[in-house]
Amino acid sequence: MAVVPLAIMVILFSFLIYNAIPSMRYSGFDFFTSYIWNPGMFYRDPIMYHGVPAPYKSSFGMLSFFVGTMITTAFALVIAFPVSIFLSLTLNLYTPRALRRPFSAMVELFAGIPSVVYGLWGVIVLEPILLHRIEPWMKTNLSFIPGFSGEVFSGAGIIAAGLILGIMIIPIVTAVISESMASQPKEFKEGVYALGGTKWEVGRHILLRNTRRQIAGGTLLGTGRALGETMAVLMVSGAVVNVLPTSIFSLTNTMSAQIAAALDSAFIDATGMNISALVELGVILVVISLIANLAGRAIAGKAALRGYEND
Amino acid sequence: MTESASKTADFRKLMDAKFERRVFSDLLVRIIGYCILGLMTGLLLAIVGYVAILGLGSISFKMFVTVGNTSTGGLANAIVGTWELVGMGLLLSLPVGVFGGLYLSEYSSRYTGGVLRLFVDILTSIPSIVLGLFGYLVLVIELNMGYSLLAGGLTLGVMMIPYIMRISEISYSNIPGETREAAFALGANSMQVSLRLLLVQARVGIMTAILLSISIAAGETAQLLYTALFNNGYTTGLTHEPVAYLTYVIWYSLNQPTPYAHALAYSAALVLVSSIFFLLLLSKYIGRGK
Repeated sequence: MAVVPLAIMVILFSFLIYNAIPSMRYSGFDFFTSYIWNPGMFYRDPIMYHGVPAPYKSSFGMLSFFVGTMITTAFALVIAFPVSIFLSLTLNLYTPRALRRPFSAMVELFAGIPSVVYGLWGVIVLEPILLHRIEPWMKTNLSFIPGFSGEVFSGAGIIAAGLILGIMIIPIVTAVISESMASQPKEFKEGVYALGGTKWEVGRHILLRNTRRQIAGGTLLGTGRALGETMAVLMVSGAVVNVLPTSIFSLTNTMSAQIAAALDSAFIDATGMNISALVELGVILVVISLIANLAGRAIAGKAALRGYEND
Repeated sequence: MTESASKTADFRKLMDAKFERRVFSDLLVRIIGYCILGLMTGLLLAIVGYVAILGLGSISFKMFVTVGNTSTGGLANAIVGTWELVGMGLLLSLPVGVFGGLYLSEYSSRYTGGVLRLFVDILTSIPSIVLGLFGYLVLVIELNMGYSLLAGGLTLGVMMIPYIMRISEISYSNIPGETREAAFALGANSMQVSLRLLLVQARVGIMTAILLSISIAAGETAQLLYTALFNNGYTTGLTHEPVAYLTYVIWYSLNQPTPYAHALAYSAALVLVSSIFFLLLLSKYIGRGK
């Protein structure tokens, strides 16, 4: 039974790569450098190009989705990283013992909210607030920062997607950091207190310093989660195609959201090239998020094992 | 003597200033921390509260008993379909997770265990939409299941395997070695130890793993979009018959223009979030001793 995940992974990768081959032959390297994603004309006769059939005038470039994925993930990390650090510090230093469990359970409840519900909240609550209050304010007061001057379209876009993603990855980043802070030996903390140290000095010199690896690992795990998140981003990013963002107010799209949004119309394509292109997009997404996740696990995991030895 | 006294006074002043600064930075961090903790509490209340208010304002008993098509009718088919899909997912992931975890914890060597665990970790890091794409290519098209309960449920099951396997593995490893030795000393063979001792002893851990994985699976959308599609009625067959589920109603009805469609979306969100929170808190309550 333990071999099942391995078997599933082998089948998954072979199927994905096999199905991505037509798109690789058709688009070649342009897939990485072009930002035009055009499904083509399904009612015209398909053309043959590099030995594979494709719809007339179709072209597939992942650049805009890749840029959107990276920008929204970076935005999410900017939100989630400091919040998670302060949350873990507060939970481990300042929260009364009786409240510690309820508060960490509360942080875990964030992880239980389904991504469509985040999307729903983003569309109904967050977008109007962003559109009418925050983005106009940012435009008038922060336009000296590069990237902060541009048209405010609607509440959707990079800010909304980044904020929602940030909220969504806070639980996982906080869990890793807080767990490793809690497993720090009591003697270290007692030593600092015995020297007359304040709680913040315990936090700075013991908790933060000794958990740097887990902080990095937890952040990478959060990055992996943000990269693959689909539904919430699909609902609040604006889901545009063929547009590169010009400012922080721009509408955007991500690789995962594009797969979800475009698969529907890709089924109509008799040549199968549209599906193949989406599969190639998926393969690249898997590779990126695998790197983030496995690196995070390796960094945090080894340090966690070392923590066991010191216990 | 006056010189040394003034030196002491200077030193004291210096230390006082330093002490004040240290206490101040401690206070500052404490305030920022409390603010962020308060902000997160407020945010959770804002999200859940908003869903609750919208949902309670639009939900009706009729929605639980009538089938719907995302713009008219009710949610009965979506509620039933969600649990059908999750049940199908459990049918795959429960045996694989529980016995796979048993193998990882009890039988695997260091090396094979490490390799197999790596693949479990890889499986957790596959984005859900890619799992959906995989389910579409392999189950819907290649194995010719069509959009169906089987295709959607198995895709969900693939996602649930790692959670059940890793958590149950941990709960087997937490059983003290003496318990096994005692059983072996009484003449039990390794199969009896596994099935009649370890499985029973780890039941709390396995139960929390099941509840957690159900709560995650019930909230998934991306895997199901192109494996289960949607159904305007109940699903009774295994293959070639699409399935309705709650997350689809939330996503799709929100894009519909009519107020009633929005009411359906809010009600679906309320039903979904409250059942997920119930499952999560239940698993916390069951596993509270650990």
